[in-house]
Amino acid sequence: MAAAAGAAITFVVGQQGRDPDRGSASPAAGSTPKVPGGPVVKRSLPGLAAPTGEPVLPSITAAHPAPGAVVVAEGPFDDRFTLTRLRLDRTRVTGVVTVTSDVSELLELQVLAGFYDRRGRLLGTNRYVRPGHAHHDGQAGAAPEVAPFSVAVPRGLRARVVSAAVGVPVLVNE
Amino acid sequence: MPLPTRAGAAALLVVAGLAGSAAASAASTSAGTRAAAPGSVATAEGHGHIRNVIYLLGDGMGRTHVTAARDRFHGVSGRLNMERLPAVGQVATYAVQPGSGQPGAADFDPEPVTDSASSATAWASGVKTYNAALGIDAKGRIKPTLMELAKRDGYRTGNVSTAEITDATPAAQASHVLARGCQGPTYSAASCQNTEVTGTPLPTSDLRVTPVADQMARNGTADVILGGGLARFDAADEQALRGQGYQILGSPATQTVATEEDLADARRRKVFGLFNTGNLTIEKYKRENPGSTQAKEPTLPRMTRKAISLLSTKRAGSHRGFYLQVEGALIDKRSHANDAAQTLEEIRAFDRAVRVAVNFARKDGHTLVIVTADHECAGFSIIEKGTFTNAEAGTPPRNVDPSNPANNSTPTRSANNKLDPLRSTGPINGSGAADPKSFAPATFRTPDDPESVRDGSPDASLWLSYLSGNHTGEDVPVFGYGPGSRGVDRSIDNTDLFDVMGRALRVTR
Repeated sequence: MAAAAGAAITFVVGQQGRDPDRGSASPAAGSTPKVPGGPVVKRSLPGLAAPTGEPVLPSITAAHPAPGAVVVAEGPFDDRFTLTRLRLDRTRVTGVVTVTSDVSELLELQVLAGFYDRRGRLLGTNRYVRPGHAHHDGQAGAAPEVAPFSVAVPRGLRARVVSAAVGVPVLVNE
Repeated sequence: MPLPTRAGAAALLVVAGLAGSAAASAASTSAGTRAAAPGSVATAEGHGHIRNVIYLLGDGMGRTHVTAARDRFHGVSGRLNMERLPAVGQVATYAVQPGSGQPGAADFDPEPVTDSASSATAWASGVKTYNAALGIDAKGRIKPTLMELAKRDGYRTGNVSTAEITDATPAAQASHVLARGCQGPTYSAASCQNTEVTGTPLPTSDLRVTPVADQMARNGTADVILGGGLARFDAADEQALRGQGYQILGSPATQTVATEEDLADARRRKVFGLFNTGNLTIEKYKRENPGSTQAKEPTLPRMTRKAISLLSTKRAGSHRGFYLQVEGALIDKRSHANDAAQTLEEIRAFDRAVRVAVNFARKDGHTLVIVTADHECAGFSIIEKGTFTNAEAGTPPRNVDPSNPANNSTPTRSANNKLDPLRSTGPINGSGAADPKSFAPATFRTPDDPESVRDGSPDASLWLSYLSGNHTGEDVPVFGYGPGSRGVDRSIDNTDLFDVMGRALRVTR
């Protein structure tokens, strides 16, 4: 699974530590003098292309659910949750993600939904992004491992959507 | 934060020596390795040239966690391996708010309770940062890590954890991201961006929004990578790792987890082995299910031993020594869950990893071992047998003193608290085990108890309870062994650990 990729990544690293000398030669007695200013943080990651969008699941593209069905699309974290109460109506697909592994605090969760026509052809996708750890999302009271979700059917597709597939491309627990 | 002068350190060395001797004597009849003999303490403290640093941390392991594990496994007069180390101190762990300056700056804005990301960045990069940040300061500026500095200067490096290797603690040594949730395998804006810090979203080509797994697989910061989290890596990562010469145990491309046998066969200079798609499995489950697949995962002491072996092997070319970080991650994760039985066994496994490190250091004579934690988790408490906590009571304790009104306080509570039978229905690992709403403590027998006493019984002497399911802001213990260990023999800040280890390795001023 990968997001669409663009140009190769090259980084510029400006800071070298708490002061300009940190990361350079040590003056400690007995140590071998070193040439200051050598690369510390890797400035480039060979072969890695910068993503150009949100994550996709190849299993969404490959799915051809029957009319009326909501199926689970394979993703990288399928052994860490269950998807239940999956329902599709004219405007949205809903369900509940229950995290079953290493439950402490749910930091990141994204549910990707694909929408299909009567012949099982993928018409489009949309996603649910649960507000993360740093956002204090006001979901106090909800069990951290249970995340109800709702993904809207894109407005222009509503007349043709008859089935859906949902998967989880992003999941991070404390 | 400046460290004490050399003269001050020398004075403290005397105290450390005495403490070490006392610990050695007290520990002589307990389980575990024998403590350093009193006469060897000075050697352990450090006249030697430091070649290696082994840094071990129990995630979420507060002082009470250590004491509880000591009581549970060695009795109240025993000692864990970490407690036998001659240098003992404590570490302040606070974080700062996003955008904050460093301590002493006009815009310094502290956050009393840290998370694992901020704390790990403190010792890895020497700066305070906000919770969730890795390898950057609170203004979002990239800061080199000790592991990167060590690598640059010719040391061999290792990163070992029982968590996903992209989790906050190991990631802090080998990546730089705005948000710890940006682990991979793919980028997403919600998990990787933080416009509270950067103002506007960063381009996806920026290192700070590049998933940790992508960074780790390509930056070569750690020569030896052992832990969990295979699901964070994919086929492209495997290709990148192979291109750098890593021996890959299992396969990210096929999501085949590494095995204990793979680990035993690992020989190369660079090794990448992840033994679970997520976090490694807790010790208690493996002990109770010896035939399970999970029971075949290597333990933390096993991974530590292998990492040391790989890193210390003399190879062609220059070899300055090594820097190894070892994390017992599940202490924190099971503390979040308020499961004392699981937590205690994770601490024991971590302590066995400490023994592995110290045994190596003792033979080597040029290795600094530091053992500490990133923060306390869940307000772990040892309460007196037969007593109860506020969570089990209907009201807080009485604060009215009829005999001395000077002691009165407000709001007035003239009735003493009583155990609420609805909140406390028996030890949660015993008679209250069927009640998920019970706030009662978990009780454990110790080696000091009669043989007939069982865990979960009111007769067991060790009563353990939790304040919450989250981190707390208390200081954490730090222990040290070997040359340079006197640098932790006092109250320090978690950023001081960067200085102690950086100086030991001579990679910082």
